[in-house]
Amino acid sequence: MTESNTSAPAEAPEYRKRGHSKTPLIITIAVIAVAAIVAALVFWLGRDRDSTAGGGGNGAGKELVVGLQLEPSNLDIRATGGVALDQILIDNVYQGLIGLKSGTVDEFVPVLAEELPEQSDDGLTYTFTMREGVSFASGNKLTAADVVDSLSAAEGPASLSTALGAPVTVTSPDERTVMLELSAPNSQLLWQLANRPGLVFETAYTGDLASTSNGTGPFALKQWKQGDSITFAANPEYWGEKPAVETVVWRYIPDANAATNAALEGDLDVLAPVTSNMVSQFEGTDFAIEHADSTDVFTLAFNSQKAPLNDVRVRTALSMAIDGNSIVEAFYGDGKVLGGPITDLEPAYEDLTSVNAYDPEAAKALLAEAGYAEGLELTATIPSFYASDAINQVVTQFDAIGVKLNVNPVEFGTWLSDVYSAPEDGSPRQYDLSYVNHAEANDFVNYTNPDYYFGYNNPEVQDLYAQSIATTDPEQAVELVQQAARIVAAEAPAKWLINYTPANAVAKHVQGFPNSNTNSRINLAGVSVS
Amino acid sequence: MIRFLAVRALTLLAGLFLASLIIFISLRLLPGDVAQVIGGTSASPAQVEAIRERLGLNVPLPLQYLDWLGGVFTGQLGSSVVSGTSIAAEIAEKAQVTVPLTFYSLTIALIVALPLGVFAAYRRQALPSRVLSVLGVVAAAVPAVWAGLLGIVLFSTWLGWLPSQGFPRDAWADPLTAIRSLTLPALTIGLIEGAVLFRFVKSATLSAIGAEHVRTAMSRGYTRLGALVRHGLPGVGLSVVSMLGLQVAGLLVGAVVIEQLFSLPGLGRMLVVDVGQRDLIKVQSTLFVLTAVILALGALVDVVHRMIDPRLRVEEQ
Repeated sequence: MTESNTSAPAEAPEYRKRGHSKTPLIITIAVIAVAAIVAALVFWLGRDRDSTAGGGGNGAGKELVVGLQLEPSNLDIRATGGVALDQILIDNVYQGLIGLKSGTVDEFVPVLAEELPEQSDDGLTYTFTMREGVSFASGNKLTAADVVDSLSAAEGPASLSTALGAPVTVTSPDERTVMLELSAPNSQLLWQLANRPGLVFETAYTGDLASTSNGTGPFALKQWKQGDSITFAANPEYWGEKPAVETVVWRYIPDANAATNAALEGDLDVLAPVTSNMVSQFEGTDFAIEHADSTDVFTLAFNSQKAPLNDVRVRTALSMAIDGNSIVEAFYGDGKVLGGPITDLEPAYEDLTSVNAYDPEAAKALLAEAGYAEGLELTATIPSFYASDAINQVVTQFDAIGVKLNVNPVEFGTWLSDVYSAPEDGSPRQYDLSYVNHAEANDFVNYTNPDYYFGYNNPEVQDLYAQSIATTDPEQAVELVQQAARIVAAEAPAKWLINYTPANAVAKHVQGFPNSNTNSRINLAGVSVS
Repeated sequence: MIRFLAVRALTLLAGLFLASLIIFISLRLLPGDVAQVIGGTSASPAQVEAIRERLGLNVPLPLQYLDWLGGVFTGQLGSSVVSGTSIAAEIAEKAQVTVPLTFYSLTIALIVALPLGVFAAYRRQALPSRVLSVLGVVAAAVPAVWAGLLGIVLFSTWLGWLPSQGFPRDAWADPLTAIRSLTLPALTIGLIEGAVLFRFVKSATLSAIGAEHVRTAMSRGYTRLGALVRHGLPGVGLSVVSMLGLQVAGLLVGAVVIEQLFSLPGLGRMLVVDVGQRDLIKVQSTLFVLTAVILALGALVDVVHRMIDPRLRVEEQ
């Protein structure tokens, strides 16, 4: 603005006049001023609103906001796989005749049945008496026919027959009685009934369960904002005691930093789980860190169908190269060392940590014996959303016995097609190692199925497991699985790196949040906000 | 002018067609299978095959393409094979985050770049201008994720002024809360894109200052600033308008990264999730809508350019 007119020669007046035009300057100043005012408004007025409209449950009293990681892709639990659905829908929205006592995976409780079933001596017939006065969220009464139809489903992830691997005949002799008839005894029946295959749906319901809900549980779906949150509201038709919270918001935040920030900014009442390396940020805050027991097993699978991993000596050597304690450290203490495929929440657990225990020298000797004295090069295919600390630890420890492990992080969809599914032409799978969290409880069956992605095939294990399924004596069933698990642990189709015990951050004003198995099932009964 | 419009419309249509082909083919190169994702780890191979059959994934690819293209050009985007919800409704809902975010970022970029760019060119020897130019180069090179994290640490963790993540569940019901939640992401994208724009404005202004018609204006008595404002900047404005068409594409790409970082339920985050789930029909429809918006903006810029630039009209005659 330091214009000087003195040196200007004689000129036409209109040029001079235009030369002094201040319009652009005024516009610029106006734009900046408006921007500054808007910014000031946003900063000032908005700050007060955070506590009320910002979303947290603190102000709302009866609202609970839970931060989770993995969002379901479709809410139809009959047709869509994945533990993300079980986690929020079972117990809270959909129920079965029986369920699991909160915090356990082997204690059954009656839910839509009045009590646990009467079982015939030959283990072939189970008789349930249905609870009275149960309605679906649609307002219609639950009938025996609904139970028969639900349990008779022939296909899909919720099919009881598929889950049991044998057909089940379901009938209802009268309006309050449901009978299940098996062709052979099955010690897994109650377990399956207490899980997804046992859920009961209304046959006459015509709504789309992919984006709505219609269950008998204490909550019903209110809103699904894809990519952000799922909201439950109390189900006015619920037959049991009304839940203490009226609204539950499940907020899905895949980014670990953002999830932690959301909790610390007061937008969440619970974060399940906190990523291991961020737990320390919750020290001295309004959150308590609770380690939940779980059936999550981070499984480093060895492809038993592909050389050199089809050689049990190589698999054993790789198992012995890994120090379980260092893996627990890589998880910042959020886990327990594991020696076999079964966790301590499950009835068939035994401490197998002495099997193939850490011994790099013996591992080297075994590798040499198998003909790999000069070492080996292998590739681990892992879904990219896992933290890399643990797998890096494995890379280092394999390196110490002369095994070079390349890590190939892929999207989960790619993992499913490259590792999990069998090639269509029937040829063996081509992956070497895989690293995933097996969250499901009671999944020992995977080690008895040679077509599963482990490719592990031991007829003795399969026979023991089949016997345990067929027995009617629960104790014998457990013993048989334990025998089979010992063999599996020794033959190492996988290294069970850690039994993950996720750290959940629970705000101090939340009471009764479950602290067991929250990665696969969060039962909100008994949760309250003060 | 009518002839120009007709030609421009035809190239736009050809561009859209080509884009649809490129999008469709490139997505088919991805490994993975949506049927497997839907079935998850509990489905048997037979169940997965049944899902594949039900979704029509066994239909030959050219037929799948024509089917999709026909839907797109008749305005039927269909529904997601994974979630079952309407794709058009999903895009509309997510656009409520991404479109305001894009405009907010663009506004910030313009507010930063225009005055500073002109200033840095007008007083290019002064120390502040040199500092600005160095800062511009640095800021334009900063990865958005890193800048975003820095912003979170500064404005959320230390100062506690702005939320570092999330968007209100009731969207724009409370506009102030919505704007606040978009402020930090918009600043991140806006400053980076603003730095790119700043360098552009600066060099455009520099050449305007040296241009003959501006010097002529000065010789007729305008001051240096007066000549620049009156005769130089309109030309700069024109180039900025054509640059903005490209800028919007950059802003949308930035949104993919930034929405993930700030956990905003917008188009970018939706795309990342859908690609992960191999919901290819939804991904290709979303990408196509985005491409169409950008191409249409490009066409609009051309038309506007034509209207405000007298030289182009002269050439036509």
